[in-house]
Formats: sequence, C-alpha cells, structure tokens
Amino acid sequence: MNIVVCVKLVPDPEDIEVKADGSISLEKAEWIIGDYDLQAIEAGVQLAEAVGGKVIALSAGPVQINNSKLKKDVLSRGPDELILVVDEALRGADTSMTAQTLRRAVEKLGGIDLVICGEGSADLYFQQVGLQLGERLGWLSLNAISKITALADRLIVERSLEDEVEVLEVDLPAQISVTTDINQSRLPTMKMILMASKKTVTEWSLADLGGVPESRIQVLSVKAPRKAHRKQIRIPGNAEEAAQALVGYLSKDGVI
Amino acid sequence: MAEQHEFWVYSEKPALLAELIAAARSLTEGPLAAVVTGPRTDAETALAQGADKVYWLGETGPERLVDDYIPTLAALITGHKPYGLLIGATRRGKAVAGRLAARLDASAITDVKAFEWADGILTARHLVFGGGAVRVEHAKSALFLATLGKGLYEPLPADASRAGEIVEIPFEAPTRRPRLCEVKPKMGSTVNLAAARRVVCPGRGLAKQEDLKMIDELAQVLEAEIGCTRPLAEGLDWLPRERYIGVSGAFIKPDLYLGIGVSGQVQHTVGLSETRVMVAINKDEHAPLFEQADYGIVGDLYTLVPALTAALKARRS
Repeated sequence: MNIVVCVKLVPDPEDIEVKADGSISLEKAEWIIGDYDLQAIEAGVQLAEAVGGKVIALSAGPVQINNSKLKKDVLSRGPDELILVVDEALRGADTSMTAQTLRRAVEKLGGIDLVICGEGSADLYFQQVGLQLGERLGWLSLNAISKITALADRLIVERSLEDEVEVLEVDLPAQISVTTDINQSRLPTMKMILMASKKTVTEWSLADLGGVPESRIQVLSVKAPRKAHRKQIRIPGNAEEAAQALVGYLSKDGVI
Repeated sequence: MAEQHEFWVYSEKPALLAELIAAARSLTEGPLAAVVTGPRTDAETALAQGADKVYWLGETGPERLVDDYIPTLAALITGHKPYGLLIGATRRGKAVAGRLAARLDASAITDVKAFEWADGILTARHLVFGGGAVRVEHAKSALFLATLGKGLYEPLPADASRAGEIVEIPFEAPTRRPRLCEVKPKMGSTVNLAAARRVVCPGRGLAKQEDLKMIDELAQVLEAEIGCTRPLAEGLDWLPRERYIGVSGAFIKPDLYLGIGVSGQVQHTVGLSETRVMVAINKDEHAPLFEQADYGIVGDLYTLVPALTAALKARRS
C-alpha cells in the first residue's frame, strides 16, 4: 500500500509574541511538526508495517519548512521519504490553497492508495484540508477516524462521532483524517534518527506543480484575544488556612 | 441590519439547526432556508423555528448517510446560489463543509466565534495558534461557508403557526460511498462540560492516576464536573477525551473553574475564557495560570486538595 501522510510544519504556538498593540509576532517562533500530525505519521507507519508498502511524508509551506532539523524530525518518525513543496506563496495559505497544492503533489507522485491527515493543523485548526484534499482528488474522504484495519484492497475504519462510533468499509484510494487519540506517536530511536539522514528528501516549488493556486479567504486582522480581567489574589498561609480563605472568597462570590 | 442576502443553514442535529436559524436571522432580513436531512417532522420544526423555507432531503439511514448527500447538496447550492451557508460544527458537519468547499471552490471558515457586517462585507472570527490569536476573515468565494458550534445563539421562540414552504429534493446518489458495517455506542460521552456550573480540572501536576480519587472527592463536595488538560486525556489516558478542555476539546463557561496542577498553556486556557471565577492551585509560583486566576494558592496539591475538601464539607454541615 502506498501511503502519503500530510504533515503541517508550523511555528510553535507556544512561541507567539504579543506586541503592545495586540498584534502578534511569529518571528522568533521555532518551527515544529504540527501536534495533531504526529498521529497521522504514526498511523501511516503502523499501516505500512502491518500490510507492507511505502510511506511518503508530504508537507507544503514557506521557506521555514525547508529546515534540516525539521526534515530529520519527520523522517526519524518512520516515513520512507519526504516531499516538501516550498514556496513563499504558501505563507499563510488558506485551506483551499493548501488542499489544491497537496492534491497536485499527490497526483504528481501517482500510484497513491491512501492519504492520511491529522485532525487539524496546529496553527489554524480549520480541520478542513484533509476533506478538501480527498474531495478534490475525487476520492472517498472521511474525518474523525479513530481506528484503521487494512484488508487487501480496502480498509475497515472506525469513525468517532460525537455520540456514536461508525464502523465503515472504505474502498481505496481514499483520504482519511485521524483523531488525536488513534495512537501514541513513537519517539524516534537513535537507530531511526541515524536512518533518517539516509532517506530521500525531494523539494518542489509551486511552479513544479503548475503554478500558484488561489486562496478563498481574505485575512483582515490577527490579534491576541482580549483577556478577561482577573483579580489575581494570592492566598497565603498553610493548607488549612489557605483552604478556609478560598472557601470564604468563593462563598462571597456566590459560586459555591 | 438592512442586509437582504439569502442565507441557508444545515445541521444533521435538529437542536443545533435551531441555533443556526437564529444565527442566520441575526445576519439577514432576506430569505432564510433550512436544509433538513431526517424525518419530515424535522422540516416542519425548522419552519416553526424561523426558517422561511425548508429544502427537505429525506430521511437518513444505513444506505443513506449524511456524507452521501454531498452531490445533492452541491447541486442544490449551485442551482440557487445562496450568499451564505452556515453548517453545524459537528464532526459530520465539518466533513460536509470541507467536501462542499472543495466542490464549490470555496473555503469554509470553521468554528466561527462571531460574525460582523462591516461595510456590506461579512466577516467571521476564528481562533488560531491554539487560541493564542483571533483572526478576522472574509470569504473571497461567491459562497460564504462557515461552521458554528452549539451554544453561540439562542434558538428563536418556536411558532407552529408560521407559514413556509417545504420543498422535497430528490436524492442524488454519490459515485463512491463508505459502507456502514456497524454503529457502536460511544463510551463516556455523556458528560456535557459546556453546561457545567462548576468544573474541577486536574493537570500534569497530578502524579498518578489513583490520585484522581482525591480530585473526585473534591468534585463531589463541590457538585462539580471533572475536566482535564489534554495530556491526561490523550497520552496518559486517565480520563476520557470528552473531559478534555481546550482548543481541540471542550469550551466551558462555568461559574467556577478550579485548576489543580494545571500550568495554564494557551491551548488549554482558550477553553476557559468565559469562566466567571478562576482558581489556580500549583506548586510552581510561575505557572501561567496564576496570571489568569482570580484566586491562586501556591503549594502542594496533595495537602491543599484534601484541606479544601474538608473545608467545604465543614461549611456544608
């Protein structure tokens, strides 16, 4: 089975700087593998281990993604090779532009049976790219997949909805987006890290994929959320005293 | 608001559909149509709840899943060209939004927190960077496609005498579909943190799973629900995922939130911003949660939690 796992490489949300005017800066942020995409990589690698085949990691973004530490990080988690679509035009790309880019990359690769995405991107979390990608490929496309079992030419998957779990039979080729609790992503071993440096990384630009796809969303502003005013009272004393004092405050506030 | 644009709403969940009707009504004085998949009574209810018209797509079933309606929905939208389509932000709803967006060359804005008309342009607010920023966006496509979660809009008062048309739409079978083998009930999904008045939330400061017993005792005396941070639900698996509060989990608005050994990373606190009174207990005086708390106690949770439980019990008796 030839599997593509889509990985979004993102500025670490923990490194966001809020400026005095409420605007935010990502200039000093370290770029990392999106939190939710680690499970997509792991799901692809586990599937290939179970039924054989190849796992290709695919990522698209601006120049920051073309970073040797990041590339090694992706490959040390098990994929056989990595395709990077690097283009400044992809900075801040909306879900439509990203899905179109990934579609062209999957079609250029050819012979892919399954595309696995994470639950959402760690930066924008629209939870849309996988579904748009699957639909644009003309494949079956499903989100919220919490279990995958591969048969010869199809998959049996569990889809974890709000109040029930659907067990579905899915013909290939297909696109699935996996939940964050589908697996525990493995930590790369020294052997995997050493193997990673021998794996192939291919770089494409949008020109290699037929040009710059259009975005469908205009961003008007990005600002830090307004913070609720909090009293920030520190309660001193030993455990009993502090507990008593807290109960007093909460009682006065009418919340207990 | 003098906007006259046509809006449509869709959710497979009737309660959420009622909220979406209220949302769309707040955005337009123009035509408002609800798309209904389900029994005909749901179509009638949508009229009573404020839709001017219902496009009724018939009943769902094992051979006709919500996901199978994509070709029918896409053709219907292409034929009528509404200005906006609001979809309920369930997992199914997000799948419908994404696949429609691809078919109609639009881009869905998901989990919208608020809308605003600005000079005739509809804008939507959406949280990005794990809740660290709010982005205001506008759709460049002909169709403004958005998903909304529950709890943002109050349904309009139902009026069974409201007149309206129910248009029956024939089903257009998809060329590819998943086959449904089985539907299993979901375990532990009964908790509704969004509706809880008090929430006790342990974080990574808790050393082992058995210590949840101590948290449970506190929650019982407080008559609180137990929530948690992401590592406790995913990774440690101490609590079900439905109890996880944060950007990819629950958003809560209780009277009281009690964070115990919670550091206060933005991915978690984004789900707490509407809490009335926030309390933080942590041994690390630099834990970011203290800055967002009304009351903070620096200390060992293993002595503080039992002391608090005892103090609350004493107050009750």
